[in-house]
Amino acid sequence: MIPFMADGGAVTCRFTTGESAVLADLAQQLIDLLSERAPDAAGSVLYAQLGIGGESSGPLDPALARLLPDAYRGDVEAASEHRQLTEQSLVERKMANARAVIASLDTAILERTEVRLEPTEVQSWLRTLTDLRLALAARLQIEDDGDNGIGDDEALMVYDWLGYLQGSLIEVIE
Amino acid sequence: MVGVAQLVERWLVEPDVAGSSPVVHPNLNSHVGEVWVVDSMASTATVAQPDVDRREQLVADVPWVTIVWNDPVNLQSYVAYIFRTYFGFSRAEAERRMLLVHNEGRAVVASGAREQMERHVEAMHDFGLWATLTRSDS
Repeated sequence: MIPFMADGGAVTCRFTTGESAVLADLAQQLIDLLSERAPDAAGSVLYAQLGIGGESSGPLDPALARLLPDAYRGDVEAASEHRQLTEQSLVERKMANARAVIASLDTAILERTEVRLEPTEVQSWLRTLTDLRLALAARLQIEDDGDNGIGDDEALMVYDWLGYLQGSLIEVIE
Repeated sequence: MVGVAQLVERWLVEPDVAGSSPVVHPNLNSHVGEVWVVDSMASTATVAQPDVDRREQLVADVPWVTIVWNDPVNLQSYVAYIFRTYFGFSRAEAERRMLLVHNEGRAVVASGAREQMERHVEAMHDFGLWATLTRSDS
């Protein structure tokens, strides 16, 4: 991988085919993970559009719980109410960001070029890279500063690589 | 795909996910009444009228605050970037508050009306930061 570089108002990054496939696969897994909390039933679509009808309690899965945290600490009622009103749109935005990352990667593969991100795509990438790292960290039981993670070496390597990738992206846009 | 870390796989979890205990008494005094310019959509906070009874004013206008909590995942550069671009802090101030989050475990990043703080918290969750809102006197 060649780190992100500025190119006019856009940024570019060149991935190997393997890296690109891993990242697209992870982004798809993120979508699958989030879909559990997404408004999928036909009846809930209207409610979702109105921003209501969402879950009232947080996810038990620690990865989902970290992606969709409570807005209030120590106030279950307020947290529940806020979640019902906002969670589904938050989930949809997170899924849309992940889809945007997959689209950027697909375009690069199709056109046999580097990944090229315009400012709005950069925002999707920043958020999806974060969401992936949060989900992986939950899986690796990284809970406090200094935790190195418990799990297989490959997952730890992917986690570190995503951090490097995001650091490189922030550096170039700052 | 071979060998990619599995995010989707079911994991048995204990319901108690929280790590450290919540801290409910952040020092907020220096933030009460500040005006936070957030983005083009944001309006400035109400300025207390001098002729309004002081006690009534305090009861009615106890502001809410947005708190960002430390986590072991997010990069310091990312947190500073968000504080600068979303809240409109200067580079130095964004850096200062990011370090507060890192070193003290939390930082207040905005104060104002409850609805506005809810929007900020949602935006922080959108970025993947861990944020909550609370009454500033709690």
